[in-house]
Amino acid sequence: MTRQPIDRAAMALGVAGVVSLGFSLTTSSNNNFVLVEGLGLLVFPVLGAVAVVGGAIGQRGVVLAAGAAYVAAALIQLAQFGRSPNWLDGNGSTFALLLSLGIGLLVVGFAPRPAPGG
Amino acid sequence: MTSTAERASPQTQKSRDSLATRVGLAVLRVGVAVLWIENAGWKTPPDFSSLRRYTSEAVEHPVVPPFTWVVEQIVLPNFTFFAWVTLLVEASLGAFLLIGLATRLWALLGIGQSLAITMSVMNAPNEWEWSFYLMILAHVAVFATAAGRCFGLDEVMRPIWRASDSRLSRLLLRLS
Repeated sequence: MTRQPIDRAAMALGVAGVVSLGFSLTTSSNNNFVLVEGLGLLVFPVLGAVAVVGGAIGQRGVVLAAGAAYVAAALIQLAQFGRSPNWLDGNGSTFALLLSLGIGLLVVGFAPRPAPGG
Repeated sequence: MTSTAERASPQTQKSRDSLATRVGLAVLRVGVAVLWIENAGWKTPPDFSSLRRYTSEAVEHPVVPPFTWVVEQIVLPNFTFFAWVTLLVEASLGAFLLIGLATRLWALLGIGQSLAITMSVMNAPNEWEWSFYLMILAHVAVFATAAGRCFGLDEVMRPIWRASDSRLSRLLLRLS
């Protein structure tokens, strides 16, 4: 089966979400690139895995669901960081990464696909 | 299996160079994106105290007098508004450059934001002026090479935008 570029892009974005767990391994408070802690340890990889599955089976609905969930998580993070409660235990960098993955998945999810056999 | 003659052919070499160029440009784009993403991390609402201290450097150690006047008379008295704008712009710069979407637009905005940072803090103690010049130059490189077309969403979306007649698609083609 030959996957379309937008499906491969959805999978790549999903993989990025999963591997962003690696940011939790950084130990410096100054140079940690992206703050991934607390509930973020669950949100990034789980939604990433959903996006990978959506891309693999070519189901735009699944990709859109993952993208919408990332954007929702980004907005929650934006509203909460620097305050209490902060459900995702993140900061502005967490917001930016969630936003990036969410927008990317929504763009590829909404992208028109060629008709079968076209 | 690839023969020795094929491996050495100019076309194979060109293709290898092309891949190296594309990977290099993707690394540059993602690296610049991570710069903004990390820097969105220390701009913390509701008081944005670290950003306020940085912004004040434009007044205490002026770089360009008109910019200093703007910071003193307009930005600092309305600091919370400008701090939110800064956070959203920098987080968006990181977000869009990371996925390589509308990359040329965001590279231009990155040049603008880098200039604003340069004019704010370049003369502050312990700052290295070339770090600011390099920030600007990195965005120039991202813009000039349209780096989102190398392993970015621009590469995936441009054929779709090209096939569309909508004004938004034509605009996105220009911005990517």
